[in-house]
Amino acid sequence: MANLKDIRTRIQSVGSTMQITSAMKMVSAAKLKKAQDAIENMRPYAEKLTELLSGLSASLDKDMGGAYAAERELKNVLLVPITSNRGLCGALNTNIIKQSIHLIENQYADVNVKILTVGKKAHDQLAKNYDVIGSKGKVFDELNFENVAKIAQEIMDDFADQKFDRVVLIYNSFKNAATQIVKTEQFLPIKPEVSQSNIVLDYIYEPSQKEIVMELIPKSLKTQFYKAIRDAWASEHGARMTSMHKATDNAQEMKDELTLQYNKARQAVITGEILEIVSGAEALKG
Amino acid sequence: MKLDIVTPEGSLFSGEADSIVVPGVNGEFEMLNNHAPIVALLQKGRIRIKGSEILIDEEVKDRFTITSGEASFEIPSGTVEMKNNKVIVLAD
Repeated sequence: MANLKDIRTRIQSVGSTMQITSAMKMVSAAKLKKAQDAIENMRPYAEKLTELLSGLSASLDKDMGGAYAAERELKNVLLVPITSNRGLCGALNTNIIKQSIHLIENQYADVNVKILTVGKKAHDQLAKNYDVIGSKGKVFDELNFENVAKIAQEIMDDFADQKFDRVVLIYNSFKNAATQIVKTEQFLPIKPEVSQSNIVLDYIYEPSQKEIVMELIPKSLKTQFYKAIRDAWASEHGARMTSMHKATDNAQEMKDELTLQYNKARQAVITGEILEIVSGAEALKG
Repeated sequence: MKLDIVTPEGSLFSGEADSIVVPGVNGEFEMLNNHAPIVALLQKGRIRIKGSEILIDEEVKDRFTITSGEASFEIPSGTVEMKNNKVIVLAD
């Protein structure tokens, strides 16, 4: 049986690990709440924009998307994997990286694939073997629409310049704190929206209907990109919360086990001492 | 009329107003009650909400300039839609 001091040291170290993991869990829970609120907050904007756009473009020609809807022969593909900057969030980032590699080696095996990573984890893993053209992890330091829109604009410009023929986003979609779903979403070219509701109202358009659509398409793309990043952000905190919760539970279990061991060892020592005293007394008697 | 102002980061205003002045790309214009259905693009400028009682959330109050009977704020660009006496401003 291990000696008492060793066990005591281990109990202490497990205890301090537990403190750290439970603190991290609390922090993630608070951040998760904020991240979820942010997703809720953007919903009215995103929905209205989609509604306007689909209503407007339904009554126009199919080639309305302009530079962002061009279906070209597939030669250059840009993958945008969105991961976190920090670890300790379970399999979250690994799943994204796996999916990216899967896409590169199967679906896009015959085309030229470039990667633009958002988040340090994807960059660290993918830069070794693949052609990573940039990393935008800094966006998480100050996550707002303006900063995200800048990245989206860069990608859209590259697409319009025909540097890429397709842009694909790979990110974790937030379902709940314990479940995140890896989503692979085509960002560009945009797919023509099929509108369910035909707007019957006779609108006044200022300027023309066409110009409005041309203006709204980039906005809706930026919103889509922002939504993906927000989703990934919420997923990260959800996953970290869950994995830190598990780590805390494990640490507690380990601590209980060690305490039991410690008490057993302590009792064995005491029993041994009593035995010595009693046998000593017996010997004196005789 | 019912007025909603939404941005990608959240709602700025939701409530009743008497009229709203927006910076359209072809010039500033005002919409009163029962304006015809319209969709318009907005350029950089000020949106002015007029009404006797304009209630603005405390959280976003610092983005507005408030005088009696009017609240206004700056937008970089946006879109406005009005139909059935309901106005929605998508501010970027």
